[in-house]
Amino acid sequence: MGDEYYDIDAILAENQKVQCTFKVNVPDMGHLAGGEDRDIKSGAKIQIPMWMAYILIYSDYADFNIPPPFSSRVRNALDAEARSVRLTSLVGQGGMWYTFGVMIMRLLNDEPALEMSNILVKTFRARLTEVVDQAQHFASIGASTGGGSSGDQGMAFREGLDGTERELFALAQWSVKLMKKWHESTETSRR
Amino acid sequence: MALPIALRTSVIPQELELVACEQLVDIIPLVAMERTAFISGAYGPLRPPAKCKVPIWMAVNLKMKKKCHVVPPDWLNVEFLQDRLTRETSEPQFSELPFRFAEVAKVLLDVASDDFQNPDKLRSLLKDIREARQAKSREGLAKLDHSELSLPNLCALEINEIRPFFIRAMGVLTKLTKDPEGQQMAY
Repeated sequence: MGDEYYDIDAILAENQKVQCTFKVNVPDMGHLAGGEDRDIKSGAKIQIPMWMAYILIYSDYADFNIPPPFSSRVRNALDAEARSVRLTSLVGQGGMWYTFGVMIMRLLNDEPALEMSNILVKTFRARLTEVVDQAQHFASIGASTGGGSSGDQGMAFREGLDGTERELFALAQWSVKLMKKWHESTETSRR
Repeated sequence: MALPIALRTSVIPQELELVACEQLVDIIPLVAMERTAFISGAYGPLRPPAKCKVPIWMAVNLKMKKKCHVVPPDWLNVEFLQDRLTRETSEPQFSELPFRFAEVAKVLLDVASDDFQNPDKLRSLLKDIREARQAKSREGLAKLDHSELSLPNLCALEINEIRPFFIRAMGVLTKLTKDPEGQQMAY
């Protein structure tokens, strides 16, 4: 996750749309709104992908609203129990909730940005232990019996992992697997 | 790089075992051998029944050919490990153990279990210690923040196990944390 130029995750996260309110009239750009109008009128609210929203917001052509994945409804849910929120259903399958959050955070100033950062950090830390626990669990029981043996709640949690968490899950699982393999091998059998 | 992601971030347990096998261990040789030069140094002479210090890889090799007895290191016995296990379960911090105890213990118990008094008990103690320590590093994970992590007395194998995802998780946290000064420099 990050803002590096070649970072695929960042590129994917930039596809998320934010709602922008235009402050100026933009001629001949009506197709962005998907409507029939030829021009964008000042005050029009249009969903713009993140990569385009940047320049519009920095150039002061438009304002933006905090997108739904970070709305107060979601914030309340995260406050209540971060582990039961399905991040993928907020940003779509394979979505990058955290990366998107960082992008929004960078667009905000002082107080709201700090608040945003707190939400992201708090959510990440609350979910991290569960991510690693589940990864360890799956590494130790092996992939074949994985599906049905654990509860529905664990299943729902895994399906709700965002891209960044998935990566961590895979890392933890791999490292536990290596350890397990090493512990089970014996010196005498190797020669 | 063509290496799998997991191998880029960390060495594998087998490699750590190889490193640990450079450590010296006492053996009682059953064959005589002159002092011999190896790449890592000169060892010997072996004069039964006098004790001699050789690297673990050499002890393993001799042991497999039944040409020596391994003298257990002073920390690899039931009393010492029992004591450490008690501390491990009663104190919040990691107890002090040799940095590469897990690797050394496994190799020696694998090839020279007949030189130990109670190898099964040792194995189960080591397993208990490992599990107690794992529970602690899991707690460490919950306290993780973006700038530092201090888990003193963590041993080589444990560091290696948690390294990939601890690093990644800290990297993510760095990104998520709003740092006013860092922000200024970025733009």
